[in-house]
Amino acid sequence: MKRQASGPPHPAFRAFTRALPLTPASVLLLLFLAGPIAYCAYIAFTDLQLTGQAEDSFIGFDNFRTAFGDEAFLNAVWLTLVFTVVSALLGQNTLGLALAALMQRASKPVRTLVGGIVVTAWVLPEVVAGFLLYAFFRREGTLNAVLDWLQLPTQNWLYTLPILAVSFANVWRGTAFSMLVYSAALNEIPKEITEAAEVDGAGGWRRMWHITLPMIRRSIGTNLMLITLQTLSVFGLIWVMTRGGPGGRSQTLPLFMYEEAFQKSMIGYGTAVALLLLVVGSLFSVIYLRLLRTEV
Amino acid sequence: MTSPNTRRLAADAGLLAIAAAFVLPLAWVILSSVDPRADLTVKVPDGVTLDNFDAVLTPEITFTPMLNSLLLCGGGTVLTVICAALAAYPLSRFRSRLNRPFLLTILFATSLPITAIMVPVYALFVQVNLIDTMQGTIFFFAASQLPFAIWLMKNFMDGVPKELEEAAWTDGASSLQSLVRVVLPLMGPGVAVVTVFSFVMMWGNFFVPFMLLLTPEQMPAAVSINEFFGNRGTVIYGQLAAFSVIYSTPVVLLYVGVARRLGGGFALGGAVKG
Amino acid sequence: MRPTAPSSRRSPLRLLLTAALAVTAPGALAACGSGSGSDPDTVEVSYKQSTDNQVRVMDTFLADVKKQFEKANPGKKVKLVPIKAPDSEYYTKVQQMLRSPKTAPDLVYEDTFLINSDITSGYLKPLDDYLADWKDWDQFIDTAKTAAKAEDGKTYGIPDGTDTRGLWFDKAIFEKAGLPSDWQPKSWADLLTAARTIKAKVPDVIPLNVYTGKPAGEAATMQGFEMLLYGTEGATAAGATDPLYDEKSKKWKAGTQGFKDALAFVETVYKEKLGPEVSDALDPNISTRVRGELLPEGKLGINLDGSWLPQDWLPGSGHEWPEWSEKLGLAHMPTQNGQSPGKVSMSGGWTWAIPDKAGNPDLAFEFIETMQSKANAQKWYIANSGIAVRKDVAADPAYVEAQPGIKFFTDLVSSTHYRPAYPAYPKVSTAIQEAMESVTTGDASVAEAAKNYDEELKAATDDQVIEGTEE
Repeated sequence: MKRQASGPPHPAFRAFTRALPLTPASVLLLLFLAGPIAYCAYIAFTDLQLTGQAEDSFIGFDNFRTAFGDEAFLNAVWLTLVFTVVSALLGQNTLGLALAALMQRASKPVRTLVGGIVVTAWVLPEVVAGFLLYAFFRREGTLNAVLDWLQLPTQNWLYTLPILAVSFANVWRGTAFSMLVYSAALNEIPKEITEAAEVDGAGGWRRMWHITLPMIRRSIGTNLMLITLQTLSVFGLIWVMTRGGPGGRSQTLPLFMYEEAFQKSMIGYGTAVALLLLVVGSLFSVIYLRLLRTEV
Repeated sequence: MTSPNTRRLAADAGLLAIAAAFVLPLAWVILSSVDPRADLTVKVPDGVTLDNFDAVLTPEITFTPMLNSLLLCGGGTVLTVICAALAAYPLSRFRSRLNRPFLLTILFATSLPITAIMVPVYALFVQVNLIDTMQGTIFFFAASQLPFAIWLMKNFMDGVPKELEEAAWTDGASSLQSLVRVVLPLMGPGVAVVTVFSFVMMWGNFFVPFMLLLTPEQMPAAVSINEFFGNRGTVIYGQLAAFSVIYSTPVVLLYVGVARRLGGGFALGGAVKG
Repeated sequence: MRPTAPSSRRSPLRLLLTAALAVTAPGALAACGSGSGSDPDTVEVSYKQSTDNQVRVMDTFLADVKKQFEKANPGKKVKLVPIKAPDSEYYTKVQQMLRSPKTAPDLVYEDTFLINSDITSGYLKPLDDYLADWKDWDQFIDTAKTAAKAEDGKTYGIPDGTDTRGLWFDKAIFEKAGLPSDWQPKSWADLLTAARTIKAKVPDVIPLNVYTGKPAGEAATMQGFEMLLYGTEGATAAGATDPLYDEKSKKWKAGTQGFKDALAFVETVYKEKLGPEVSDALDPNISTRVRGELLPEGKLGINLDGSWLPQDWLPGSGHEWPEWSEKLGLAHMPTQNGQSPGKVSMSGGWTWAIPDKAGNPDLAFEFIETMQSKANAQKWYIANSGIAVRKDVAADPAYVEAQPGIKFFTDLVSSTHYRPAYPAYPKVSTAIQEAMESVTTGDASVAEAAKNYDEELKAATDDQVIEGTEE
């Protein structure tokens, strides 16, 4: 640190003035993020309702007991797991890495074009993306038209396999993020290393497995973390495509929570589910922070 | 051993195949928006018409919601970027015992599923009279984007060498002055990425305004398009597609504009490194 | 903070947050023109706008009343706040608005099925003081008056008509199937037989529509399930009480035999593919599609639905279909095995209510008086294909002859049933829809669905349930 023109001020005072720029962000975060989380923890233990109730009261762990005995809740947990694994871990992550790896070798115009298309899908508003994919998967939609043309059997995807349809929709919408992260990571690998491996005659897959992947280990961890949590939060996409139906077969936790809190007016119960979702997110965060411990 | 040329061709072919799958839904919306008889399948339009655009370009359907979106996302983005820049500076520049816990908290908050707290946020906003106000929604938008924005901003700021600031300090400039005059201009691309990223995220967000705004005339396009879409009784797919195009254009243009100057959005990818 | 909310909680946490937010968001309290308290001369009226952009029946009617009201009360303004949403989402939106004085309108359109629930929550104002000075109130029929009367004996809403339900059928399809044009089924079996005949003889049409599942919302419960349930043997037996709710013990009835029979009927319709495609039946806009597309295009044989359908087909409604009365026939819904009384109908309806947090309740009531005058009410019943709840309108030949079908549906009022619209009813209704949905998709058998209903019912009513005793 440099000397000040007016002599060194008191260290405590200096620490205070230095922390001053943190104030606006801290105030916002405390009021609008920490506040609601604290309030969430409070409502989750009450039986607050949207309608049909004169007084709400504190009911302890009843909401949580109800949840774990509620088949619809367990179904939502299961579907959330399927949705996250299929669309984030398998879909976005693998496809993003494949795109990034191919881009390393492709010609510039193709790279620009393909990158542009994939990123467009990502910047589109959530509801628009949901609507496009609703049109794509519907019985009379594009997918069935293509299958028809290829002489393959068609079906009403949104009705028979809604959770897969919304998972694919999420892959379509979210792959760009992984692609950008991995492209940046692959660009940072020194050329000499890959070239040396090539001279040793290591084939493409072996190079990928033994050299490239270990080198971008950290990016993989970060990326998996972020896309998992983004996927846990997906609401609009599924809401537009299926409303969580039919028969709750694409009802992930965020949709379940909304339905319980507002359509069945059990705000307390919906909030308890929200709290569980937060806890799951927090567990992920903690694992993630362990991964990054050396960095911060 | 394959020659580099064959390998490049193989990579090109692979990429184009993936892109084809990505393009189909996009093609549908573009084609349907100019098709006088649009339905749910991609097909060559039965002629080209701008009637669909004409039909939706009314204050009620397009202008008011778009303006609301602009107010909400513009306000939210400005607030986010200012707060993030201010907060990132001490985190990046000074050693302090506060840094580590603060950064850990920020990283922790980055990964919270915001969707989960919307129900309590709604209940809280009712209690404190912020429900159905633009400013309440803007504050919440900013707060929800802040953790990620601060983190990105700090990563970009770490990339700016300290020597220049130290020169400024020697000349008696305050921290704020050196931040505004020296650091931010040097990290223009970083600020641009944070701005665009925050704006795009807010522009596309449906759940937050859906929960926090109630009166129709305050609804942003994200919510009003959903009402449009709810009208599947006699769906006018062409108009819906036209509105989708209008609503998506600003963010796509914004992204393209920034990406061309920064080399394809890799800046974001770079800043997201662990 | 305006301490208007009769809030039951003053937790330190909330006070702290409130204080903190009040400090940081000074603009929030100087409500920016959207709060109903903002202007003492403006009445804000929230109502449900059809999700079909072509149908603007209510908007047109309210715009007309607004003009009359503003002319008669110089300096006063009416602000219409249309809420465009499918039924179930409309209720949610309205309740969210009613929770805060900032967003509560001065006048709100409330479905009678929800009104008791909202009254319990303290969302609405009792209107007795106003009604005492409003002489037109004597013109309203008694059943309609009780529709918006709460358990405390006070009245909270002014009904704007009622409705009944029956079977609509397409004469052209019936002719192709060799069914009579004056068709009148005597039992559920008759109804299913007709549907099966259509399925066999007329391809490419939907034989029978029965609303089902959560996306259809209250339409599934009332037009679908209750039209069946209230005609079951147990519900029509001598001395039988309401099949859903036991007045004596003040408890809800767990799945009775009648409940299972009604579910079995729904299951049969969808299992034998006599109904719409399940994916279409479970689309939130199915009722809009039935009225806007399927019936006018001759793609639906029999439709179990409400008396209000023609409102969409009147001149100026966007889907004019003047020939509907020649193309469609009407039949009443039969009881399960044709036992006495032979007919079943349910009645509900909507009311105009004044929110507890309304800024201008007096002005709002003046607006109701204008809106529900004889002339305006008559205009509305006809535009909306509603059943009159004012005696003077019901007796007016101009009203009776205004539309084919009015007489048929008005005659059903004598044999109609009302829902047990107690505060827990909306949740009970959702539980019914879930049971229907699970037998529709085939995810559960009738027995399983009835068992799940019993569990849901306990949760929805705080265990106020008695095990099904068939009377």
